[in-house]
Amino acid sequence: MTTASGLEGAYRRLLRWYPPVYRDRHEEEILGVLMAAAEPGRSQPAVRESLDLLWSALKIRIRMTVRGDSQPWAIAFAQIGMLLPVLMVVLKLIGYLERGGWYGFGTPADALIGAYGDPGRYVESFQLNAYWYAVDGNITQALTQGPGPALILAALVLTGWRRTAAVFAVVVPLAYLGVSLSAGYTLLGGANSDVTLYAYGLEALVLLVAPDAPRGWRALRWRPGALLITAAVAFGVAINGGIRPLLHSSWLLYTGTLVAVIVAVLVIMLVSSPANRRVVALLAVPFIPAAVIYLCSLINPPLPGPIGDTLAAAPLLLLILLAAMTLPLLPRRPAGSDAPSRPAAPGNA
Amino acid sequence: MSDRPLHEPTFLLLTALAERPQHGYGIIGDVERMSSGRVRLRAGTLYAALDRVVAEGLVEADREEVVDGRLRRYYRLTPRGGDRLAAEVERLQHNAAIAAKRLGRRAIGGLT
Repeated sequence: MTTASGLEGAYRRLLRWYPPVYRDRHEEEILGVLMAAAEPGRSQPAVRESLDLLWSALKIRIRMTVRGDSQPWAIAFAQIGMLLPVLMVVLKLIGYLERGGWYGFGTPADALIGAYGDPGRYVESFQLNAYWYAVDGNITQALTQGPGPALILAALVLTGWRRTAAVFAVVVPLAYLGVSLSAGYTLLGGANSDVTLYAYGLEALVLLVAPDAPRGWRALRWRPGALLITAAVAFGVAINGGIRPLLHSSWLLYTGTLVAVIVAVLVIMLVSSPANRRVVALLAVPFIPAAVIYLCSLINPPLPGPIGDTLAAAPLLLLILLAAMTLPLLPRRPAGSDAPSRPAAPGNA
Repeated sequence: MSDRPLHEPTFLLLTALAERPQHGYGIIGDVERMSSGRVRLRAGTLYAALDRVVAEGLVEADREEVVDGRLRRYYRLTPRGGDRLAAEVERLQHNAAIAAKRLGRRAIGGLT
């Protein structure tokens, strides 16, 4: 391979980071500029040139999504923006039902005052945010373990307050980080909290990346929505050990059924449409770094505290950085336009 | 139309296209010459900027040609892009005139 063709191949590999639609139109053109600008005898792209191409590819990907040029991604972002808070609430409710099954459901009045069984235990099992904060002063648990923030986020998104929801989705995890780090808690090893934090970061990003998505419940496409909620219920029940009465049947059969439901839903999502494949890929975003960080927490001897904290915080901060990058790309709207009454855009509903 | 001041690379990009259509490599060289080597657009940055100004309707593709087996696409300023550049020039001239005037007064004040 000659030097020139080696360099051209390396540039082509870098250009693969651009969106396919953009590459179809501009790849040969950009390649011509890169080759013309390359110093004689160069066989590999300069580091600064490579970073410039990667950074520009990211900016163009975000910009095309914001403009709605990439329809499957635009649909996927709109779906995830709507469904993620709903799924978070569903998972909290599954935990509630499981704990209710464990401790026994009292009357609704019992549940309300937390008087059933061990006083306060049932309320704790419900993970009411006020309990965490008022009783043990644990604001970090109030922020991530209770349903309160997820309910507020879901309400904001379902009623169409997208930018307010995005701000909320940034504030909650940052408040968690601030409180945790200032109190000297370690972030490493709290896999559930990490997934929740990254889910908030992802939500902030997708709400900003898809500003022209239909607002409120109108953004929901019912088929993938129903599938994902089914999978979330199965996942939540499986993770929480199952609602107690059902556990009296065969545990293996029961768990196997739940796993089959999850797998079936994911397969249907993956084969059904390009947009749904992207929905599944986006849903994996909070889980993958959380799994990696959980594995890091098992390293022996343990990582030093600051390194563990940095590792755990990095995915969240990266998601928030990406969300911040989209801000200059957002179309300008008149003041007070973050209102729920904006009609649905045609074609996305 | 946006009233935001243009960033310098965007200003120089539009200026490079003000006189005649140019292709990507031509724009890079022209911007470097106009800024006396201070602003050097890399290919990625240039095409990200072109993507933005084309989307804003300030610049459009003019023609394509193949030179030495490589595709060259020429870009030109649209009437809207010309108006935007003229408005920016006026803004910069206005600011520069005020700054020069005040510096002049300061120099006179310093002498007395």
